[in-house]
Amino acid sequence: MALMSQSMAVIVMNIRSLPRRFWMSAAMVIASAVVVAILLAFLAMAKGFETTLKSAGAEDVAFFLRVSSAAELNSTVMNDQVNLLRNAPGIVANDKGPMVSPELYVIVDGIKKTSQTKANIPLRGLGEQGVRLRENFTLLKGRMFTPGTNELIVGQGLLGQFDGFELGNTLNFGKNRWTVVGVFSTAGNVFESELWADARVIQSLYNRGSSYQSVRAKLSSPQQIEGIKAYIENDPRLNQVVQSEASYFAEQGKSLSYIAIFGRVISTVMALGALAGALNTMFTSVADRTTEIATLRAIGFSHLSAFVGTMAEALVLSVLGGLLGSLAAYLFFDGLSTSTLGGSFTQVVFTFQLSGNLFMQGALMALIIGFVSGVFPAWRAARVPVAVAFQARR
Amino acid sequence: MKDLYLIYKNLTRKKLRLFLTCFTIFIAFLIFGAVTALQGALNSGVEMSADNRLITVNKINFTQPLPFAYVNKVQNIAGVKEVSYANWFGGFYQEPAKQVVTMAVDPITYFSVYEELVLPDEQKSKWQKNRRGAVVGQRLAKTYNWKVGDTVPMSSNIFSNKDGTQTWELQIEGIFTAKDPQTDTGYMLFHYKYFMETQIWGGDNVGWLMLTTTDTNLNEQVAKAIDDSFANSAAETQTSTEAAFNKAFIEQIGNIGLIIFGVVFMAFFTILVVVGNTMVLAIRERTGEIAVLKTLGFSSMRVFRMILIESCLLAFFGGLLGLGGAYLAVLWASAAMARFLPNLVLDQGIVLQALGYMLLLGLITGIVPALRALKLNIVSGLQGV
Amino acid sequence: MNQDVLFNLVNVAKGFVKGKEKISIFDGLNMQIKKNDFLAIMGPSGSGKTTLLNLLGGVDQPTSGEIMFDNQRIDTLSESKLAQWRANNVGFIFQFYNLMPMLNAQRNVELPLLLTHLSSKERQERVQNALKLVGLDDRANHMPGEMSGGQQQRVAIARAVVSDPKLLLCDEPTGDLDRKTADEILEMLQLLNRDFGKTIVMVTHDPAAAKFARHILYLDKGEFVTREVRNERPVSDL
Repeated sequence: MALMSQSMAVIVMNIRSLPRRFWMSAAMVIASAVVVAILLAFLAMAKGFETTLKSAGAEDVAFFLRVSSAAELNSTVMNDQVNLLRNAPGIVANDKGPMVSPELYVIVDGIKKTSQTKANIPLRGLGEQGVRLRENFTLLKGRMFTPGTNELIVGQGLLGQFDGFELGNTLNFGKNRWTVVGVFSTAGNVFESELWADARVIQSLYNRGSSYQSVRAKLSSPQQIEGIKAYIENDPRLNQVVQSEASYFAEQGKSLSYIAIFGRVISTVMALGALAGALNTMFTSVADRTTEIATLRAIGFSHLSAFVGTMAEALVLSVLGGLLGSLAAYLFFDGLSTSTLGGSFTQVVFTFQLSGNLFMQGALMALIIGFVSGVFPAWRAARVPVAVAFQARR
Repeated sequence: MKDLYLIYKNLTRKKLRLFLTCFTIFIAFLIFGAVTALQGALNSGVEMSADNRLITVNKINFTQPLPFAYVNKVQNIAGVKEVSYANWFGGFYQEPAKQVVTMAVDPITYFSVYEELVLPDEQKSKWQKNRRGAVVGQRLAKTYNWKVGDTVPMSSNIFSNKDGTQTWELQIEGIFTAKDPQTDTGYMLFHYKYFMETQIWGGDNVGWLMLTTTDTNLNEQVAKAIDDSFANSAAETQTSTEAAFNKAFIEQIGNIGLIIFGVVFMAFFTILVVVGNTMVLAIRERTGEIAVLKTLGFSSMRVFRMILIESCLLAFFGGLLGLGGAYLAVLWASAAMARFLPNLVLDQGIVLQALGYMLLLGLITGIVPALRALKLNIVSGLQGV
Repeated sequence: MNQDVLFNLVNVAKGFVKGKEKISIFDGLNMQIKKNDFLAIMGPSGSGKTTLLNLLGGVDQPTSGEIMFDNQRIDTLSESKLAQWRANNVGFIFQFYNLMPMLNAQRNVELPLLLTHLSSKERQERVQNALKLVGLDDRANHMPGEMSGGQQQRVAIARAVVSDPKLLLCDEPTGDLDRKTADEILEMLQLLNRDFGKTIVMVTHDPAAAKFARHILYLDKGEFVTREVRNERPVSDL
């Protein structure tokens, strides 16, 4: 069809003439690249947060904290309360008895590798049931800590972010000395940012008597939560609040979500700026080529071919920019592990995660920029009057 | 200047192009203003710290307590002027979402260590005499409309009251302000003794110590002396200046500064390229006219100057609008996020910085076309080259 | 030197280098232009007539030789001094008018006055007078885009005379106009020459236009070929 071949011809001509407008085109490519890169970086960060926290919480694990405690750090659970909870309905039992894990959560300091400054790290005291409760737990190196000793195991994420936690090292927290005997993984979730040791040892070293801070229990099914809620209400000695572990972590993730929101806002604002820049570039491009366009029209090319030619130019430039931005985001951010302050004032290690879905969003952004910055100038190009070709150059 | 009319007419030739270019600059400075204000708010804890104030915390972690006995021991160390102490209460008002920074302190010494706070003597002595009394910072009082004489129920998300609840009824005996409007007054103080008597765990420990030194030059010495005296004890200490302590805290957020810098840098770089390009092309279109001006007798320097003024006017116009937008955004955000970021404000420093960048932007985007115009040969210019 | 000589060109040479070639436009050109003359310069393209005009206007510099204007050498002036000299002594009129498209007639005419120290009021007065002279004072607020070719050229003439220069240099002033309009413009030039004592040098390839001048010079390959006297005496009324 004549229309098609005309349009193709114009498209090819426009793109061939891009080198003449090198800096202009470069400006548009850069603008698109930057916007896409920033968008992807923040999306990857948000995804990383989500994964870290989501996968940590199981739907079928009940999580008990004292009422009005914002986090594990702030809560207290007495020993006899733990015993009462052991008898709650709906809890699964294994060969060691009901899968109930009373745990402690204290904060110690470590040196961050990147900044060489101090940061807070959680030290969790738990027992064998606690370890068993986390189904994605695997011991990567070394062995489990021996109960009753100053041995601890370190999460893989923590190991990567902080100095001095390698297998076999001794650590000093205050006057207490610990030895790292193992490295564990829990499939990349928040537990990997922790140190684990025997609950009893922590109790004595930190003067906790016989009390704990939180309790976890494995349920036979997520619905059992309701039964436990009723159980707690009926017993005046229990002042715990129960929720699924999953919903607890969802709450914790809120503070991190602020960063994600901030990222989205910045990306959007920058996208607007880039769009204005792209529009400017395209309008100038059309102005630069006015005589050319008019000459083609005088020869017999249709309005549509001028329109399509300009659209194609805009889309090619913005998509090129989008690809560059995606590449940059992938190279710099994908798999980048870093840590930041989570709830409870401790460090949460998370990984930037770029996925196919995210790249799609980046591509969409590039296309939108290309389309919007192309359509108006293209319209103008289509309306260039043929007479312009005959006017003397001013 | 006589040339201003000509410059103005050149700028406004193509309205759409002017709008788009201004908009791009507007966005960049909007981002700059807002993000720099955010950075300032995060750092304000560091900036507002007093020079001669030290904080002593448990070496293991600041969430671990220190024995009360340490207070006197520290007071006796050479170079220490005043010592006070505080315990974190973890407070909220009515519901856990309404968090309120609340601390149990020593009513006698607290305000001596924090000299920048202002509490009328009358209110101070009333508070000191009332075990259940509390003083509230002005910003906090405003938020909940509290007045002297009100009794407010403060709950803790960490501690339990001996009476079985987690709430303490406190009577507001005074409202304190600060000498510097940027100092935070969004928190509440009540009696340490009362707290210890009424909370389930009781005991005699303190959360942390704050002290002033007699001379800022002694800071390091005093810090070392304090930490040495508690070395190898059950609760070793870590003493640092207040500024260092706050800074370390912010650093935990993980190099936010770098991210912020990165974003702003990218934004500026992009507009530099886009606007610079636009300027070059806009002025290239006028090659013939510039040649004509020169034939009329306009000197090359004059033409050079006109173009630089044009690019600078453009940068300032868009930039000032962007700064204005940032100001509004910050105003809105500081109201909405007052609890997390008490010091979110677009201050003079940021404005001056921004003005400097606007000038730089104007000069950089204008220099290439201006030089070209300066060197333009009239003959080739008239031919439209 | 003669008091009534405005321009004296002595041994002027002008050439430029194109790639490896040396192209010479003038080689040892000598000429004199008397004050109050109306000179038309004709010749085929490439003969150097525009280059000559540029040299006279201080817009281009000779490779060697001397150009004297009113007993002053202008070929040795610095670029900024030349700009000043032009502002004080020369008015230009181009084939395509070269008005600033975003300024109205009044503002366009005012441009040369921005180079003086006149106050805004004084400038306005002169602009009005100039526009009146060319018969366009009622179009002072119109933009170039709203005017015909002839009107634009008249605005250009007003701009060229507003600071009362001694010399007017015209490069194909009627090249883009129809016959009738061209004649109007040329008559205006004659008026400026006859009644206001301006020296005019006009480059043209239109013989009909050249007839309005007092002298015609023919230029070919950088040399004057013939010289024709057209109108020694002032043009009489028709």
